[in-house]
Amino acid sequence: MSTTSPSQVLEPDVDSEGSVDNPWVVIVWNDPINLMSYVSFVLRKLFGYSKAKADKLMMQVHTEGRAVVSSGTRSESERDVFRLHEHGLWATMQQD
Amino acid sequence: MSAPIRRDGDAYVVELDPSMVAVIEGLCGEMETLLRDGSPLTERLFPPPYGDDDERNEGYAVLAGSELTENRLAALETVRGVLRTGRADEEEFQAWMRSLNDMRLVLGTMMGLTDEDPGVPRRPEHEQAHQVYEFLGAALEMTVMTIAGDMDEGGSRGGA
Repeated sequence: MSTTSPSQVLEPDVDSEGSVDNPWVVIVWNDPINLMSYVSFVLRKLFGYSKAKADKLMMQVHTEGRAVVSSGTRSESERDVFRLHEHGLWATMQQD
Repeated sequence: MSAPIRRDGDAYVVELDPSMVAVIEGLCGEMETLLRDGSPLTERLFPPPYGDDDERNEGYAVLAGSELTENRLAALETVRGVLRTGRADEEEFQAWMRSLNDMRLVLGTMMGLTDEDPGVPRRPEHEQAHQVYEFLGAALEMTVMTIAGDMDEGGSRGGA
């Protein structure tokens, strides 16, 4: 039996800036103009969510002011933000 | 009696009162001018995605800003066609939907509906804008219900 200390475990460096493993999240914010039905529809259309999931996220936006609607790499999130902006939703992204 | 906005086979029908057609046509022209001028009234259509990170926001604006603008201008042209013919295919109907929403966002911004308080008092000078805003809301709701109804029925439809 080896008496040496445990091997070093290599873990992804999730904290370093720019790491590809760093997940980004896309957030949709509440606003007083967008219709609830429209927000829910856009989430279904862009992300393929079920009506139940899209409605739940939309209600979270409405009641809590914001909801995370997707996550991924920076470029994936930027693409999602772009598509949300195309549809007039107030979307931002940040590192989780 | 048929709904003014509805599905008809493979297409969509948009049959609005001529006075409302004229209003939306007018809005198309105004939106085009505001977008081309980069008016502050259109700021809500281009939210900065990176919060306070000005450098990244600027990078995004350089990459995405003109495409977002061009897409919106193209959608307005589609809206004109839909108003002229009263018909739209799937892609045109989606462009119609996005443009109606853009118009509401700009009108809402103009009327000061930018905070969390839905109870902003209606100002007399905005009465006409408010009526248009509400009409656009009703038309958008009908449009969304029509497309979402297809999604509910078809499952594979509406993925766009």
